[in-house]
Amino acid sequence: MDKQITVGIADMKFARQEGTLITYALGSCIGISLYDPMIKLGALVHIMLPEVYGTGDGNAFKYADTALTETFRKIEIMGARKPRLVAKIAGGAKMFELQGNSTLGNIGARNIVSVKQILKNSGVRLAAEDVGENYARTMSVDITTGAVKIRTYGRAEIVL
Amino acid sequence: MKIRRYDEMNGLGLDLIREIGSIGTGNSATALSSMLGKSVRMTVPDVQILGYNEAIQFLGDPEEIVAAVLVKMTGEINGLMLFILKLDFINEVLSSVMHKEIEDYYQLNVLETSALEEIGNIIISSYVNAMSTLSEVTINLSVPDIAVNMLGGILSVPMVEFGYQTDKMMMISGQFVIGGKVLHSDLLMMPDIESLNFLMEKLGITNG
Repeated sequence: MDKQITVGIADMKFARQEGTLITYALGSCIGISLYDPMIKLGALVHIMLPEVYGTGDGNAFKYADTALTETFRKIEIMGARKPRLVAKIAGGAKMFELQGNSTLGNIGARNIVSVKQILKNSGVRLAAEDVGENYARTMSVDITTGAVKIRTYGRAEIVL
Repeated sequence: MKIRRYDEMNGLGLDLIREIGSIGTGNSATALSSMLGKSVRMTVPDVQILGYNEAIQFLGDPEEIVAAVLVKMTGEINGLMLFILKLDFINEVLSSVMHKEIEDYYQLNVLETSALEEIGNIIISSYVNAMSTLSEVTINLSVPDIAVNMLGGILSVPMVEFGYQTDKMMMISGQFVIGGKVLHSDLLMMPDIESLNFLMEKLGITNG
């Protein structure tokens, strides 16, 4: 059977050649798949918040900015190169709509903006996205092909 | 000493939360009983402080579909309350109020969804009333909203909302016994840290 590695919340895992990386039920969090097709290396990051404040709390993978910096550093050691990387993102939903509370749930939208900006600044191409709306997404990356599958409740599975 | 995280609360702080939980569960059992027209008993609730990945594991599977009602607290206490409704509880409510049961969350129509939202709102309000009566603080509640979706995605809302403050979630779990059936109930009570300090100060609890 194919090896499957689970990525938790505020977490990152990477793999080479084969296997699947999966992260479950992304709500307002964002899953970022970074894939280098030449060396068949894929990383999946599950971030919660758009950017770190101050020194943070020691978990780099919680925030989009520190998470991506740390992921780039790790996978570059393994031979990945930013110009070759293909990024695909999913998540950033607004699960609840509370009247008169426009700030709640906007973190999803802020996460999307932040992740896109960081990818752009890092010179990494964003190839596909499935973001926003009001439902959770389970995201998996096939390390052999770089294909990203998105599973949701009550909708057909899609491939990015 | 002020606390910075939920898990820094000492025994007295936890006792306070447990007391709020007990009174709230009592209140909500009474409210539920009059709404359903059945006797509703409750067990003494358990208070747990868990990390995110632990909280999801405790409640089920991240991809499990649940219904959840969210209410935001503002005023002297700020924070979120999230009540999770699973199929057995939903069916107990629907069969009492609307004489109907469902097999899958898909089958919930608009009317039933709004009935569940109201039940969730009543339960949440019971806990919030317990908190405000016990400590004589004023708490305003937002209009509730209900979501039917993956548990993990739903829990990400309070996690992210307080992500800059805490890595933990505070959960009150208990059991309702409705007409002989035992139904599990989970409520996430998440005052922000400043509010929690205010609450404890107001009740004369010093930490540390």
